[in-house]
Amino acid sequence: MAEITLVEAINMALARAMEEDDTVLMLGEDVGVDGGVFRATDGLLSRFGRRRVLDTPLAEVAIAGVSVGVAAQGFRPVAEIQFMGFIYPTIDQLVNHAARLRNRTRGRLTCPMVLRAPFGGGIHAPEHHSESTEAMFAHIPGLRVVIPSSPALAYGLLLASIRDPDPVVFLEPKRIYRAVKEKVEDSGDALPLDTCFVRREGSDITFVTWGAMIQETLAAADELAAGGVSAEVIDLATLKPLDMPTILDSVEKTGRCVIVHEAALTAGFGAEIAARLAEHGLLSLQAPVVRVAGYDIVMPLPKMEHHYMPSSERVVAAARKVLEFS
Amino acid sequence: MTEDVDIEIKHTCFLDSQGKVIEPLPAFAEDPKTLIGLYRTMVLTRTFDAKAIALQRTGRLGTYSSSLGQEAVTVGGGGAMLSEDVLAGTYREQGAQFMRGVTTVELFTYWGGDERGSNFAGPVNDFPISIPIGSHAPHAAGAALAFKLRDEQRAVLCVFGDGATSKGDVYEAMNLAGVWKLPLVFLVNNNQWAISLPRAAQTASRTLAHKAFACGFGGEQVDGNDVIAVRHAVAEALANARGGGGPRLIEALTYRLTDHTTADDASRYRDDETVGEFWKQEPLARLRNYLSESSGWTRENEEALIADCAAEIEKAAEEYLALAPASPETMFDYLYASLPKDLAAQRDEVLKKAAGDG
Amino acid sequence: MSMKTFNLPDLGEGLQDAEIVSWHVSVGDHVVTDQPLVSVETDKAVVEVPSPHSGRIFKLCGDAGDRIEVGAPLVEFEEKAAADTGTVVGEIKNDADAIGHSATVAARESFKVKATPAVRALAHKLGVDLSLVQPTGSKGLVTKQDVERAASTLDQAGPLEKLRGVRRAMAERMAMAHAEVVPATVTDEADVGSWPGKTNATIRLAGAIAAACRAVPALNAWYDGHEKGRRLHSSVDLGIAVNTADGLFVPVLRDVGNRDPASLSEGLDRLKADVAVRSIPAKELRGQTISLSNFGMLGGRYASLVVVPPQVAIVGAGRVEPRVVAAAGKAVVRNILPLSLTFDHRAVTGAEAASFMAALIQDLAKKT
Repeated sequence: MAEITLVEAINMALARAMEEDDTVLMLGEDVGVDGGVFRATDGLLSRFGRRRVLDTPLAEVAIAGVSVGVAAQGFRPVAEIQFMGFIYPTIDQLVNHAARLRNRTRGRLTCPMVLRAPFGGGIHAPEHHSESTEAMFAHIPGLRVVIPSSPALAYGLLLASIRDPDPVVFLEPKRIYRAVKEKVEDSGDALPLDTCFVRREGSDITFVTWGAMIQETLAAADELAAGGVSAEVIDLATLKPLDMPTILDSVEKTGRCVIVHEAALTAGFGAEIAARLAEHGLLSLQAPVVRVAGYDIVMPLPKMEHHYMPSSERVVAAARKVLEFS
Repeated sequence: MTEDVDIEIKHTCFLDSQGKVIEPLPAFAEDPKTLIGLYRTMVLTRTFDAKAIALQRTGRLGTYSSSLGQEAVTVGGGGAMLSEDVLAGTYREQGAQFMRGVTTVELFTYWGGDERGSNFAGPVNDFPISIPIGSHAPHAAGAALAFKLRDEQRAVLCVFGDGATSKGDVYEAMNLAGVWKLPLVFLVNNNQWAISLPRAAQTASRTLAHKAFACGFGGEQVDGNDVIAVRHAVAEALANARGGGGPRLIEALTYRLTDHTTADDASRYRDDETVGEFWKQEPLARLRNYLSESSGWTRENEEALIADCAAEIEKAAEEYLALAPASPETMFDYLYASLPKDLAAQRDEVLKKAAGDG
Repeated sequence: MSMKTFNLPDLGEGLQDAEIVSWHVSVGDHVVTDQPLVSVETDKAVVEVPSPHSGRIFKLCGDAGDRIEVGAPLVEFEEKAAADTGTVVGEIKNDADAIGHSATVAARESFKVKATPAVRALAHKLGVDLSLVQPTGSKGLVTKQDVERAASTLDQAGPLEKLRGVRRAMAERMAMAHAEVVPATVTDEADVGSWPGKTNATIRLAGAIAAACRAVPALNAWYDGHEKGRRLHSSVDLGIAVNTADGLFVPVLRDVGNRDPASLSEGLDRLKADVAVRSIPAKELRGQTISLSNFGMLGGRYASLVVVPPQVAIVGAGRVEPRVVAAAGKAVVRNILPLSLTFDHRAVTGAEAASFMAALIQDLAKKT
């Protein structure tokens, strides 16, 4: 079993899903002949043909809307939006249609589609290619929002998302597309949606994070461990629906929580977790809940990007503040 | 040097505004039963619209958009479809929905503000009413794609208004339909008004049919007040699409003889005299005249039909008004295939409150 | 609002009337010229009658099935235009009463004890009163260690005896009184040397209080701090502080101003007996208009007592003792009764209190 990268794991999952279920389709810009600009769909066109892998015109609304229509007819479309920066025109189709179709027809029509998009900063890309606005989607009733943070999680969660009967926005942290390698077996086994994964156990402080920030968070946990502090690291994986019990159990044990996300602070998804901790976990808290997040600014262009991205130093500093709160 | 390309747009009309035959009728129109069937559904639609407005006025139905004056477009379009085809329309296609087997009770239920109204018992694959303008055009393309991928001899009829043709979603769907040669017919229900914006201010394109050519397929116009013309043009286009001939656009020219919705007051932006002039073109009168002149449609037939439609609508309204309200926790039951744990607490709260209030 | 009536026009062919088959418009509809209003049946056909002009339908002059004569009213139009809904979907209400908001900046309350929720929960669990804990955290924060230290100190002091019943009620009542009342105390003494041998001081005091209330009614009143108003009472229902093993009771001796000493004496004995066996009904413990604490029976001279709202005054009587006082320039030994009067300064002035005291002393100084 070879070690593969996150983007290779996505490719493996897509191929596996298409192999097992001939209603699974790929559609998007450059997904066919080019194999996707990040090679996520590499090899799928030659393996499955033009009736399964469709290179679309440059039309994000059509990509999302056609997915709704074809899903209503019983296919399982996996649509790719090339970058999160271009996802915004699809919000109409996601909010007004995909997330609502089952509800507004009382189950008569359903929308088992997956909308995949690479997201997040740190790749020194031009403007609009470093977005992290996952909170927008997590706000929408009827959607699922899934964010893998490792090759194994990408494989298992993507399979689960494709098999799920409801619409999923699957955001791929492109900064770590190739940064991490892991042994992943092409078993066809899905991982559970709607649940957090405890990536590391600990007793003194709880970190909650998702996506590429898992790297900075684990690095921070390592540094704290060297100083005798045992940190528990929780990977949200599914932002919506949120698995709060796992987080509450952890905070009951540790009494302290730091949430880490790359997205801007205000109304970022960390705010939802902090609010629920205040409502349901107040008596466990020994210190305030702190969020380490991007600043409330437009993501800077590459020259200043490193000032924006939350670093492991910032995570450690936040943890120390929380640990020393007394 | 500038080139002025003027594409000739075909225009079809069989019955003039008085109901006189001006072109040889297509085969189906020689059969009085077919025409009477179309006429009946047009009368039913008009009766339904009037009742819906009356219910809205008395607080028993929500905001409603009547299709007064546009019955031939929707009934003709819906009537041209085969049962295995799929309809994707806006909120003013009730005539087509009735032709497809959506019941009057289901539509009262939807407009009354109850999701159960979109759970059609009849045309189970048809899309529900679409409110955000033009956003259903890509869905229609998706359904047509499904038929093509499965090699099925089925087509999609996508209906929208003149305003929608300005929308990006519609162009994206049309463009995709053209380049992928999808079995999809676009029927533009051009009632000349997008709320208060008249057609001339909507686009500089000489006709809306012209827009098809930019997407690589053909566009034509029909007299939207002649149900025979609409039915004929749409049927041909659907047959062509089913047979692999790709998409077509049909612009049906008609007029919105009423307000945009029950909350709108059209007299704010258009003058009554003009509207009065268009009443002379209206679709029911011309077909009625033709049926009386040429198909032996009698006064008794007319009265019986009016009474029959009135009775059907009354009965449907009563059934709608008697519908027991859905219990509140069902608000949660159709968000996902199975209720996520995260929502269970909220659903319980609503359930408890309902039990307490009950 | 002016009305236009449209009569059924001549339909031709010598017809005198027509039957309404079906209306195409409803009351409230805006119609335009030539818009079909109604289908009517003639001998030959069903005919649509178009509107002669535009307007809003006010009344339909018949139902389906009715016969209308040619020239008779068919439809009434109103000239008034409909009110602008101001929307194109749903309803936007025009509420006449706008909710006025005056923006105020909320006053920031300072919390007495600073502790995190987890520390508070721990304190609660260990039975530690946070206000008693010495905080060692930064900016006065009570830490977990502080609570644990306080808990072990308390442990050494023995288990917490939770107040119950009468003692608990007293604790709550006194705290409430303290929070509300603005107390002031005036003290003085009465020369009771002329009292006969077996005089019951409590009974004499009751009578003197009644007399003083007649002289200065302001002290026999109830004050309502929320409404900022007082009720003067005509009768004096005197609360008498009675001490028992269970705690303090204040039963009420009703209408002392209109009772003779014998009646007062009998009433007092009965109250004391009922209190002793805990058979006193609740209503006998309520409704005091003014109170008396004859603590002198146990010891003490002067005291600042607690006025329990809604009362505005309480009289305290200390121990009667022989003391050296000045009389006509010479030192003499007299029996002196020390008196304290605590009053609620929200409702009673110093002058009223002083006058009341003077009246008390005057009455007590009498032989009977």
